[in-house]
Amino acid sequence: MDELFMILTRLLMGVGHLAVILVAAPLLQGFIKKSKAFWQMRQGPPILQPYRDLRKLLKKEEMISEHASWIFLLTPCVVLASTLMAGLVIPGAWGWAPVNVWGDLFLFGASLGLARLFLTLSGLEGAGTFGGMGTSRELFMGLLTEPALLLGLIVLAFMTETTSLQGIITGLQGVSPLFIPRILVLSALAMVSIAEMGRIPMDNPDTHLELTMIHEGMLLEYSGPSLALLNFAEQVKQFLLLLLLAQIIWPSGLISVSDGLIGMLWALGFVGIKVATLGFFFATVESLFVKRRLFRAPHYLATGTASAILALVTLWIIRGQI
Amino acid sequence: MVNKESQSVRLFFMGLSIALAGAGLILGTILISQGGEWIQTGLRFFSAAGAGLSLTWKLDGLTMFFLIVLLLGQGLSSLYALGYLKEYQEKNKSLWPFLVNWFLFLGSMFGVLLADDGFTFLLTWEMMSLFSFFLVLYEHEDPANRKSAYIYFVMTHVATVLLTTVTLYLYALTGSFSFEMWAGAVPSLSTIQLNFIFLAFFIGFGTKAGFVPFHIWLPYAHSAAPSPVSALMSGVMVKVALYLFIRLVWLTIGPGPVWWGWLFLIIGALSALLGILSASVQSDLKKLLAFSTIENVGILSMALGSAFLARTWNNAWAMDLAFVAFFWHTIQHMLFKSLLFMGAGNIIQATHTRNLERLGGLLKRMPKTGLGALIGIIGIAALPPLGGFWGELTLFQSLWMNTSHLANGWSKVFLPLSIGILALVGGLSMATFVKWFGISFLGQARSPVAEKAEEAHPIQYITPLIMGGLAILSVLLPTATLGLIELPLSVLRPGNSAMMLSALVTPLNLSSIYLILLMLLTAIVFLLTKRSFHKVTATWNCGQPLTSSMQYTAGGLTNPIRVLFTKVLGSRRNVEGDFAETRYSLRSLTYEGKLKEVFEDIFYRPMIRGLLWMSSQIRKLQAGSIHLYLGYLLVTVVVVLILGR
Repeated sequence: MDELFMILTRLLMGVGHLAVILVAAPLLQGFIKKSKAFWQMRQGPPILQPYRDLRKLLKKEEMISEHASWIFLLTPCVVLASTLMAGLVIPGAWGWAPVNVWGDLFLFGASLGLARLFLTLSGLEGAGTFGGMGTSRELFMGLLTEPALLLGLIVLAFMTETTSLQGIITGLQGVSPLFIPRILVLSALAMVSIAEMGRIPMDNPDTHLELTMIHEGMLLEYSGPSLALLNFAEQVKQFLLLLLLAQIIWPSGLISVSDGLIGMLWALGFVGIKVATLGFFFATVESLFVKRRLFRAPHYLATGTASAILALVTLWIIRGQI
Repeated sequence: MVNKESQSVRLFFMGLSIALAGAGLILGTILISQGGEWIQTGLRFFSAAGAGLSLTWKLDGLTMFFLIVLLLGQGLSSLYALGYLKEYQEKNKSLWPFLVNWFLFLGSMFGVLLADDGFTFLLTWEMMSLFSFFLVLYEHEDPANRKSAYIYFVMTHVATVLLTTVTLYLYALTGSFSFEMWAGAVPSLSTIQLNFIFLAFFIGFGTKAGFVPFHIWLPYAHSAAPSPVSALMSGVMVKVALYLFIRLVWLTIGPGPVWWGWLFLIIGALSALLGILSASVQSDLKKLLAFSTIENVGILSMALGSAFLARTWNNAWAMDLAFVAFFWHTIQHMLFKSLLFMGAGNIIQATHTRNLERLGGLLKRMPKTGLGALIGIIGIAALPPLGGFWGELTLFQSLWMNTSHLANGWSKVFLPLSIGILALVGGLSMATFVKWFGISFLGQARSPVAEKAEEAHPIQYITPLIMGGLAILSVLLPTATLGLIELPLSVLRPGNSAMMLSALVTPLNLSSIYLILLMLLTAIVFLLTKRSFHKVTATWNCGQPLTSSMQYTAGGLTNPIRVLFTKVLGSRRNVEGDFAETRYSLRSLTYEGKLKEVFEDIFYRPMIRGLLWMSSQIRKLQAGSIHLYLGYLLVTVVVVLILGR
């Protein structure tokens, strides 16, 4: 009986964890758009606009290319589902992640990888040039980001002696925020996040020009509910990346029941502020830089990988282990 | 016209092969379920070979594990061949050479796994090479296949020379062929002797397994063979070579110095990276898969390296994890690679081309083959929820534990770097297999042959689907898979393996939960967005009519990778345009892209040049003058007389 109760609580907590992510993701997107508008001296769309866009798209009729197969229709569901699976390993506002066993940091990148596989396959479904272009570039970016992401997280794992993201975040509370390896890891992960979110200087989320398109190229054939799901998945992914970064910069520790409802709400608000600050930061970065051409991406992401490796070396040097 | 006799021959022999595999699996299951001492100590049996020699065989948990992999591969490949061979029968090509060599090849692999002494091992090993060579040569009408088989033959004999030498050397040292005697003699050997033996084994088995730089035969041979044979060679034969690393290096001459582990790790990382890089730019359906085998062998070798390092550093946990990763990946790679070769076989029979640039849109014409192939690419690209990922997760954790266990030293930097390399390999393999699947199955047909393709014989798509089903089952029931892995582990690590496995179970058990959750979430999302009304329209093409040549080509899709790694891939291209009056009106354009094996340049050519130079020097002795030869005779007689005094 007790065991069943435990499982049920865990399940409910997991659902709650995902619900927070689902609700907050479009809000963050709206906030980032608003921040960009601020730097461009425009009013910009209202913060709640992403929700309205999603609702509108969900109601629309869907057009499907004559060359597409069932993979095209399955992709939006798989992409959203696997992005949510990636969300299961990232500790939320209460410092708790539904999946917390050793090795779960590898699950994060891999789940996003599954989403990428289906998305890139769908890019080829339409039999047009634009989809293929998006696929080709996305695969290229994917292979460049993966080493930096994994190495960055691995260094954090060495710092805190665990390979579970929840353990890492809890452990980071005891590490000084100015600890040099930690700063280097942050810069690596920030670079990776920009590429993964499809933002300037790697990709431009606002246009459908073939010069810039990576992510948008693959979505070109999508319409209606499928497009809504894919856009939503992208927003969730963006939220997850920023949440992860925010937790690494200012970790929120594991909350206990004794903190009460107020404490929990306060933690939630705190995380909201952290993520929003980061969102504003990335909006600023996006306003300051220009899109680079594709073959500059290796240099940029190699910098990310290099800073992760540097973090590793400095960590051992500072600890006197080399 | 169907040749009746040939049909019954095909049905009988392939049926026999399946029945033997099934019987073997059932017998194995009964033996395992009864448990007992034999798993650790081994069941010995002899057979007399005459002339005072006897062949000795041993069956223990380690052998049992690989036997199960072999039998699974045999059963499913035979089932597939049942359908695949029909094409040869229709072409009125004799099936006998195929069938005879098929059984002898399988039998010799059996022998290699069971061999318990150097003589038996050499005999069966050589048989395995020979009969697989005959199978590669089965479609000998094509000169390209003859060349592939020839390269295989030469390379495999380089390996055999080394293995024969080292076996005779060990016999000279110990006076016995028995592995046990060899192991007993190891402590008395000097470091140089031990390292020589190790290197000979490493090159010998590494050649068969496809380690870089001894891999050059593999893409040729694995792609030239008929698809069921490719499935067996890639799925099982390379594993047999890796088995020998465990049997003869780990168990017999181990533990060895630290650099052995490093060699496995570095060569593994190199193989993984170079294999997948070469695969990503291929546009030959089967060559791409063969290159990816090199990648996976590299990953397996890294797992072995991690285990070796953990043993020298006394890190029991990391060692167990490395072995779990090794055996897990062995099973998964066998399933996925065989599946993909079967899928490739179906495509080749339906379109008669191996060139990706001529395929496209096959998913609509061959939906069931396509479904199997989709499962295959998710697994082989090491993505969750399928097994390829969970093996790599365990390997990552093993490398991580090895690093964090070490007190100090530069190893703490290099070990995590290999994790970074594995991540890059993962990204590259996704690109490779999105290309393999996407270009052949999705989009529009790029040639008339692809347009007219038809679904293969039911057996030919059911078999890959069975393999996909097994792969999903292995993830859904991780405890069963781990139970199988416990067999070899209890040989390699006598002691408390039950305790270790229960500690391991946590994340690997997650694999089933992950799969179920992912399916559940996908289903929920699918049901929540009711999409009852679609309209089928043309693809948006800026208002222009869409032709099939507007799609990305196989070469184009991974072109960024080719450009980025130009030096490593030795890629060269030549574009010639025929222009009208201005540079802006193009009449025609010819494009030629070439890839070169880097190792052919930096390793093989200098070696061949050296050999030729040496032989030309030696040829000077053969001047052709009878006086000189008489002089040689005189000198020889004098030397013999002095020595035989």
